[in-house]
Amino acid sequence: MTGMIEKLNSLLQKKKISCIELTRAYLNGIARDNGVLNAYVRVTEERALETAAVVDHKLAAGQILSPLEGIPMTLKDNISTRGVETTCCSKILQGYTPIYDASVWQTLKRQNAVLLGKTNMDEFAMGSSCETSCYGGAVNPFDIDCVAGGSSGGGAAAVAGNLAAYALGSDTGGSIRQPAGFCGLVGLKPTYGTVSRFGLIAYASSLDQIGPLCKSVADTALVFDAISCQDPMDSTSIGQKEPTWPQLTQKPEKLIIGIVKEYFKGVNPQIEKALQNAVHTYEKMGAEIVKLSMPAVSYALPVYYILACAEASSNLGRYDGIRYGYRTKHYNSVYEMICKTRSEGFGPEVQRRILLGSYVLSAGYYDAYYKKAQNLRGAVVQGFDEAFSRCDVILAPTVPATAFPKGFAAQDQVQTYQTDVCTVPVNIAGIPALSMPCGYDKKGLPIGMQLIANRFEEAKLLQIAYQFEQATDGEFYRKTKWGCCQYA
Amino acid sequence: MREYELIAGLETHIELSTKTKIFCSCTTAFGGEPNTHCCPICIGLPGTLPKLNRQAVRYGILAGLATNCTINPVSKMDRKNYVYPDLPKAYQVSQYDKPLCSDGYILLDSGRKIRLTRIHIEEDAGKLVHERGNSFVDYNRGGVPLIEIVTEPDFRSVDEVREYVEKLQLLMKYIGVSDCKMQEGSLRCDVNISVRPKGSLALGTRTEIKNMNSFAFMEQALEYEFERQVDLLESGEPVVQETLRYNDMTGETESMRSKEDAHDYRYFKEPDLVTICTSPEEIEQLRALLPELPDRKKARYLSMGIHEGGAAALIRSRKVAEFFDEAAKGLQTPQLAAAFIVGQMFSRYSTATQRDEWETPVTPSQLHELCVMVESGRCNRGLAKTTFEKMMDTGKGATAFLSADDLAEIDNNQLKKICQEVLAENVSAVQSYLGGKETALKALVGAVMRKTRGRANAAKAEQLLVDSLKKG
Amino acid sequence: MITEEEILEIAVLSKLYVPEEQLEQLTKDMAEILAFADTINTAGAQAEVYEGLDGLSNVFREDEVEQSYPIQEILQNVGGGENGYFPVHKSR
Repeated sequence: MTGMIEKLNSLLQKKKISCIELTRAYLNGIARDNGVLNAYVRVTEERALETAAVVDHKLAAGQILSPLEGIPMTLKDNISTRGVETTCCSKILQGYTPIYDASVWQTLKRQNAVLLGKTNMDEFAMGSSCETSCYGGAVNPFDIDCVAGGSSGGGAAAVAGNLAAYALGSDTGGSIRQPAGFCGLVGLKPTYGTVSRFGLIAYASSLDQIGPLCKSVADTALVFDAISCQDPMDSTSIGQKEPTWPQLTQKPEKLIIGIVKEYFKGVNPQIEKALQNAVHTYEKMGAEIVKLSMPAVSYALPVYYILACAEASSNLGRYDGIRYGYRTKHYNSVYEMICKTRSEGFGPEVQRRILLGSYVLSAGYYDAYYKKAQNLRGAVVQGFDEAFSRCDVILAPTVPATAFPKGFAAQDQVQTYQTDVCTVPVNIAGIPALSMPCGYDKKGLPIGMQLIANRFEEAKLLQIAYQFEQATDGEFYRKTKWGCCQYA
Repeated sequence: MREYELIAGLETHIELSTKTKIFCSCTTAFGGEPNTHCCPICIGLPGTLPKLNRQAVRYGILAGLATNCTINPVSKMDRKNYVYPDLPKAYQVSQYDKPLCSDGYILLDSGRKIRLTRIHIEEDAGKLVHERGNSFVDYNRGGVPLIEIVTEPDFRSVDEVREYVEKLQLLMKYIGVSDCKMQEGSLRCDVNISVRPKGSLALGTRTEIKNMNSFAFMEQALEYEFERQVDLLESGEPVVQETLRYNDMTGETESMRSKEDAHDYRYFKEPDLVTICTSPEEIEQLRALLPELPDRKKARYLSMGIHEGGAAALIRSRKVAEFFDEAAKGLQTPQLAAAFIVGQMFSRYSTATQRDEWETPVTPSQLHELCVMVESGRCNRGLAKTTFEKMMDTGKGATAFLSADDLAEIDNNQLKKICQEVLAENVSAVQSYLGGKETALKALVGAVMRKTRGRANAAKAEQLLVDSLKKG
Repeated sequence: MITEEEILEIAVLSKLYVPEEQLEQLTKDMAEILAFADTINTAGAQAEVYEGLDGLSNVFREDEVEQSYPIQEILQNVGGGENGYFPVHKSR
C-alpha cells in the first residue's frame, strides 16, 4: 500500500503533473478553505512556486527526484524559517522574522520541499485545542464546530483538510499525537534526540520533539527518515538508530502487545470499543496480548506540568521586546517596559504556566515540586523499561475523548490538562509513540489509537502500525471534503 | 577604641582566551564595532541551542590544576535565571552545584593559604552602555567564556588581597588561559568584606563591592569600606548587607541600584547541554601541559643563587623566565644571565606589556654564548656589557663584535711587560700601595685592564703586580 | 494554599504584571493548578534523579572561529537599531 507522498512523487517523476500544477492545486485549496479551517497563519505562495519551478526544471532535465522533493508541505509556526515570519502564534512575536533556518527545515529545503506556509498552533505550544493561538483556533476538518486539537492543530487541519501533503509539528506532551488523533491522521512523536531541536522555538527543552503529521504510515516513515539525524548544532541530538522506510513492510516475527490498565481509566466507551477492535485485529495477526500495570502513568501528568512549566518559565524569559518582537508603547523605566511587554504580549494560559514554572523552581518550593518531579520522572522511565521487557509495543488510547467542541478547553484548565493523560508519559520517558486512526465515533469524529515503543525503536513501531493499516485495508482513513487537489 | 580586623573573600571573573565564545563560534576578539561579533546563538534568538567549547572546559581544568584544586569527574551546566537587558536569554548558563573544580588554594609569600572554594565556567553577558538617559546594548561580549574563582573569607588585610590578585593574574597568564587585563575587563574582582573586633570569632555582616577595575581602585575601595564599617560599628549602628560600587571620583563606596530582585535565581540543570565527564587520564594529560609555575620557578632561582629582587622580576613574565631558563642552562654562574636580563634588557623593555610579549632580537643561545665567554674569562664583564648593548641593537651574536684579538688572552710575557709599564706610569699609586694603601692596587689593575682593552685576566694581572711590587 | 502576596512575588520574578482586578481569579486558578501539581506528593515511588538521555556526555565544539552574522541581520528585528546598538530607552 503506497503512501500519498510516494504517489505524488511518482506522478511528478512521470510528468503526469508538474510541480507548479501540484503546488497551485494546494494553494487554490488554501485560498478557498483556509478561511474556514484556519489551518494556516501564513501562506508562502511566492516561495512555494519558486521551489516548484526549481523542481520542474530538474524534471525537465531528466533528473531523479528524492522522495520528498517537490512535495507541498507545511511547518508549525514554532519552527524557525529564515525570512519568513515565525510567531508561535503569540502576539509577543508578531513581526519576528528569523535570520536562520531550523535544522529540520534546512534539511528539507535542500531537498526542495515546497513550503506552502506556517501553520496554526496553541500559543508557544501551550494548549490542547489550538485555541490559545492569537489567530484563533484551527477547526476540525471532520466537524468545524470542533477543534483540530493542540498544540499542532493547524498542521493537522491542513493535512486532514487536504491543504498539504504532510506537516511538521512539535510534541511536548502530546501536541502531534492528539491533533492526529482528533483529525484521523498518523502523527509520530519520535524518540527524544532523534530529530534536531535547533530552530524549534522552545517550550520545554527536555520534552520537545519535532515530528510528522501524515495520511499514512508509509508517509510517516519517509518523513521521519528524512528529518532525523545527529545534528552538531543540538547537543542533545543523537539521530535515528536505522532508517525505517526500507524495512516498513517487514513483519515482526513475534509480536507482544501490552495493554496498560492505567491508560484506560475514564476513557469514553466508544473509544474503548474501537481500541478493543484494534486489539482483536492484532490478535488475528497472531499477536500475544499481555496485561500490564504502570502506576507511574497516574502521576505522569502533574510531573509533566511541573517540569514543562519550569523549563518554559525559563525559556520564555527572553521575550522582553529588546531584540525582536512586540514592545509596549508607553513606559517610564526599563523594568516597566519589560513587564508590560510581557503582560500584553503573552496570552493568559502562557502567563499562568510561566507563573507556575517560576513558582516550582523558586527557593523554598524547588525540593517539593521540581526536584520531586525529576525523581518521579526517573520512576516513569523505569516503569516503561519494565513494561518493554514484557512486550514490544504498548497499545493505548491517544486521548480519552474525541475532538472537543470549540470553547470547551477554556472553561476548566485542570480538566483540559487531564486530557493529556495518555500522551504525556511518553514525553517524560523520551520514548517514541504514534497515533493512527482506528475508528470513528457516532458523530463521525476520528478515534486515535496510540502505539508506544521503547527508545529508538521507530522501525519496529512503524512496522507494527503498518501491519494494522494493511490488515484493515486502510479503512480508517477517511478523506474530508476540503481542498482542491485531486491527488491529496 | 577597640581594634578591628578585616575579613574578606573574593570572587574573581576571568575571561578565557579561547578564540571563540563558549557556546558559539563567534570570535572573542576584543574591540570591534558593536554587535559585529554576534550570531543567533549568542543573541539568544528563539530556537537556538548552545554548543559547549571544548577549549573553555580544558582551560577551566588547567586553572584548577594550577591552583591545587580537585577536578570533579562529573560536572554539569545550570541555568541562573534573572532578567537584565545585557542577558539575551534572561538566564546565564553557569554552574551551580557541580562545578568543574573545587577545594584548591593559593599560597601567599607569607605562607598564608588562601583557600579556593570552587572554580566554574560560565558565559559573560553583553555590555550595557548609558548615554543621555538612555541605554544601549552591545552583545559582542555576550557568550565570552569566563571562569569564576571563589575564595573562602581567608583574607585579613588589603595587602593580602592585592597579592592574591597579582598571583592569580600571573598564574593564569603562565598557563595561558587568560591575558588577565583588568583595564580591558578580562579580570574582574568582586570582594565580600566584613569587619570584626580583634579576637572575636563571629563573622560580621558583609557587603559586596563589585566592578573594581584596577588594583589602585580595589585597594582604595577596600580601605574606605573597612573604615566605613568600623565607624558604623563604633557608633553602634549595624552594617547593612548590600551590594556596593566604588565611586573613584568621590573615593567612596555607594549602594548599587539593585538588579531588581535578582536574588532568586531558580537554578536548574541546563537541559540543552549534557554532563561533562573528565577521566583521570585526561586530567593527567592536561596536568602534563602545565609549565613550571611561578612560585616553583622563583624558589628554584633563589636556590640557584639569584637574589630575591632579580628572581621576582624574572618570573613576572613567563616568556622572560623561559628566556632566562634557556640562556642559563649549564652555566656555572646563572646569576650572570639574570644580570644581563634584569640589568640591561629590562631598561629597554620596561613596561609589563613589553615584558609579557618579550619581542627581543637577542636569542637565549646568544646570551648563553656571551655568558660562557665571561665565565671562562675570555671576556670581561665590562666588555661583555657594551657588547650586549650592541647585540640588542642588532640581533647579532657576540662574535660579530668581538674580534679574535679582543678575545685572545694576553700571554704571560706580554702581561708582565704591560704590568711593568703600568708600574712605571703610575708612580703615585705605587707609592700609596707601598705606603700601606691596599686599594691602590685596584687602580693599578684597572690601568692594566685599560691598557689591554679588557683582554687581560684581572686576577693574573693583580698577582703579577703584587709580585713586582714586593720585589721592589 | 498560595496567597495573593506569593502570586505577586512570583509575578515580579517572572516579569509579569497582574492587574488588581485579575489577582483574585488568578490566585484561585493557580491554587487549583498547584493542588493538581501537589498530587505528586501522594506518589510513593522513588527513583534516582533522572539524569537525562541515555548517559549522553561530553558533547563539545572545537574552538574554531566562524564568520559572525552581518550587523544588519542582527539588528533586523529592531528596525536596524541605533548606531549599531540595541536601544533600551528608559522612557517612552
